[in-house]
Amino acid sequence: MSAHDPFAADRPVSYGVRRYMPSWRWLAEAMWWVEHSFGRAHADARPEEDTRVRIFVILSLFSAVFCCLALGAAHAALMTEKGGVGSTIHPDAVVRADLIDRNGALLATNITHYGLYIDPAEVWDRKAAANQIKRALPRVSAAKLDKVLNGDRRLLVINRLTPQEKVAVHSLALGGIGFEPEDVRVYPLGESARHVVGNVDTGGVGLSAAESAFNDEIRAAGARGESFQISIDLRIQGILENELAAAATETKAIGAVGIITDVQTGEVLGMASWPSSNSRNLATAATYEMGSVFKTFTIAAAIDTGRADMNTLLDASEAFQIGNRRITDFHATNKVLTLEGVYLHSSNIGTSRLSTEMGPRVMRDYFQRFGLLSRAPFEIGSEAPIIPREWSDSTLASLSFGYGISITPLQMAAAMQALTNGGRYIPLTLRKGGRPDVQARQVISPETSLTMLDLMRRNVVRGSGGRAEAPGLRVGGKTGSANKSVNGRYSTAHAVGTFAAVFPADGPVNARRYQILILVDEPQTYPRTGGFVAAPAVGRIADRIAPFLNVQRRADPYRTAVGDRIPAFEDLEGDGR
Amino acid sequence: MSSTVATLNRLYGWKVRGVRWVEIIGVMLVAAMVFSVYLAKAAAARESARITDLERQITGNGQRVRLLRAEVARLEQPGRLEALSRGAGLGPVDVHRQATEASLSTLVAVPAPPTVPAAPDIDAAIPSAPAATPAAEPVQ
Repeated sequence: MSAHDPFAADRPVSYGVRRYMPSWRWLAEAMWWVEHSFGRAHADARPEEDTRVRIFVILSLFSAVFCCLALGAAHAALMTEKGGVGSTIHPDAVVRADLIDRNGALLATNITHYGLYIDPAEVWDRKAAANQIKRALPRVSAAKLDKVLNGDRRLLVINRLTPQEKVAVHSLALGGIGFEPEDVRVYPLGESARHVVGNVDTGGVGLSAAESAFNDEIRAAGARGESFQISIDLRIQGILENELAAAATETKAIGAVGIITDVQTGEVLGMASWPSSNSRNLATAATYEMGSVFKTFTIAAAIDTGRADMNTLLDASEAFQIGNRRITDFHATNKVLTLEGVYLHSSNIGTSRLSTEMGPRVMRDYFQRFGLLSRAPFEIGSEAPIIPREWSDSTLASLSFGYGISITPLQMAAAMQALTNGGRYIPLTLRKGGRPDVQARQVISPETSLTMLDLMRRNVVRGSGGRAEAPGLRVGGKTGSANKSVNGRYSTAHAVGTFAAVFPADGPVNARRYQILILVDEPQTYPRTGGFVAAPAVGRIADRIAPFLNVQRRADPYRTAVGDRIPAFEDLEGDGR
Repeated sequence: MSSTVATLNRLYGWKVRGVRWVEIIGVMLVAAMVFSVYLAKAAAARESARITDLERQITGNGQRVRLLRAEVARLEQPGRLEALSRGAGLGPVDVHRQATEASLSTLVAVPAPPTVPAAPDIDAAIPSAPAATPAAEPVQ
C-alpha cells in the first residue's frame, strides 16, 4: 500500500491488486495510481494542479492521435498514386482477354450473355406468359418453362441468352422476368482456325489449343483490359483453309493438313486441319510416314558432313541390294546420277546409298537435331513420333526416303524450317514474335542451307514439284509420296501425298522466307503422289499470300517475274514423285 | 520578459461576454475546418460517383463494342468472304494483269472497240457524252 494513498483503507478488497496475477500487477497499480492522483493532490494541498495535469495529458493524447489521423488522411488524399482514385478494377476487365491475330483481327472474345429467371409468384397469367416467351424465344424448352412457371420460387429457365434474345424477351414486358448477366466465350469465326484457337470450359478455363496453352496469360491480359495476340495471320489462315479444303475435296482425301510458318522466327502464320469439323488437329495429333520429303534431310546431312557435293555421282543404274532387300526407284533412270539428279528424280537408290555410307550414328545425329526423333516443342501438345528401334542398313535406307519413321506434320514443318533458314532449328510457336525463351540450335551450316534452297528451287523448276510454281515467287520444295501401312503391309491403295515448300528460295540465308507444308491423306484421285495432290495447293497458296507477306514477284535464273520459262530449264520427269 | 508574459496573460484572459476570445477563435477555426472537410468530402464523393458512372458507361460501351467486333468478325470470316467472292465471279488476279506502282507509266490503254456507225436519226443532233476511259493493261 502506498503512503500517498489515503483512500486505501476505503477501497474494497475486491479491487485490490492482490487479486491479479503478478504479471498484471504493475498495470493495476499504475491505474490505481492515476485514479487516486486527485486524492494525493488534495493531500499535498495542490488540488488545482491535479485537474490541469489530467486535462493536459488527455488533451495531449487526443491531439497526438488526431495529428496522426490528420497526417494519415492528408497523405492518403494528396499522395495517392495516379489511377488509385476510384475503382481499382479496370473498366474493360474481362475474365479472358480477346484473342486476336497478329494484325488485330478478332479470333475469340467474351460477350455478356444472360440467364433468364422467372419468379412465378409475380406472373399474372402463366399460360399467356408461356406462350409469349415461347414465341420470342423458340429455343427455350417448353417443359422447363412450364415447370418454372408452375413452381413456387424463382428459377433459371435458360442461360446463354444473346443480347438480342434478351431484348426480345424483355420487350414482352412480363412480370416476374429477370436476367442475370453471364460472361460467355464466343468464337465468331466458327470453324475457322478452331484447331489453333481452341476452346474453354464454362468456368472460363482453357481446354485446348491456344486457349489452354496461354490460359494464364490470357486471363491476366483480360484483367488488365487488354487483348492477347497470337502469331496467326487470319488472312493467311483463311487462304490456307480454303485451298486445303479445295485440295482435299478435289482429291477426295480423308484428311489434309496445312502449315505456314516464318522460317526465321518460327512463328506459325497459319495452321489448318481438314476436315475442320473433326476436333482432332491432324497437324499435331497425327503421325505419318511422309516419303520422299525425307530425301531432303538425307542429302542435307550428306552435304553437311562433306560426304557429298553437287558434283558427287551416285550409281542408280541398278537396284541397291541390302541383304535380301532390293531397293528400286519409282521411275528408274538406270544411270549414274549427280546429287541434283538424285534429288530431282527422287531416287530411292541414291539416297539409300548416301544413308548407308553415312551410317547410323551420323543419320541418327542429324535426324535428332532436325527434331525428327522427339516430340515437337510447341505450345499445343503434339504426338510423339514413331521411330525405328534398330538402325540397320535396311532401316537407314528406308529412313533416307521417308519410310520406317512416322512424324507429325508439325515436326516436318519445323525441320524444313531449319533447312531453309541457315540451318537453325527454331521450335514453332504461336507466340507473336517467336519464343523469347528458346535458343536456336544449329543443325547444318549456312552453306549447306543455301545449297538445299537451290536444290529445292531446282526441284520445282525441273523436278517433281513443278505444279507448286507460283510466278515470280521463287518457290522451292520437295514432294513426298508414301503408301500407308494397313494391317502390317504397305497398301498401294492408301497413300499420303506431301509437299514441303519454301518461298522465296533465293537470297541470303537470313532473308525473309516462308514455309508451306501441305499433306493430303489418302487421296482417291490418280496420280496420288505429292506432286499432284499437294503441290498445286502450295502454288495457289503462295500466289495468294505473297501480297500479305510483302513478297515481291521477281525473276530468278530459272523463271521470269511472271513465270515464263527460260528454255534451259524444263521438267525432267514430270512424275510428281 | 515579464512584460511580455504579462501581455500574453492579458490577451489570454481577454473575454467577450465571459468567453475567452482564444476559445472563440478556436471554435471558429474548428468549425471552418469541419466545414472545409465536409466540402472536400462532398466533392470527393461527387467525383467518385462520376468516376463510377463513367466506368459503368465505359464498361457498357466496351460490351457493345465487343459485340459489334464479334459481329464484324463473323461477317468477315475468310471462308464466308471467299464464298461470296466466288459467287460474285471474283478470284485471284492473274499475274499478267498485275502491275506495281513503278510500272504504272508503262501501262497502255486497251484499244477502244471499233464503233459501228449508227443510222442517222433525230437523236444524232444531240451531242454525245464523252467516251469512257478505257481500262489499262500492262505492257507485256
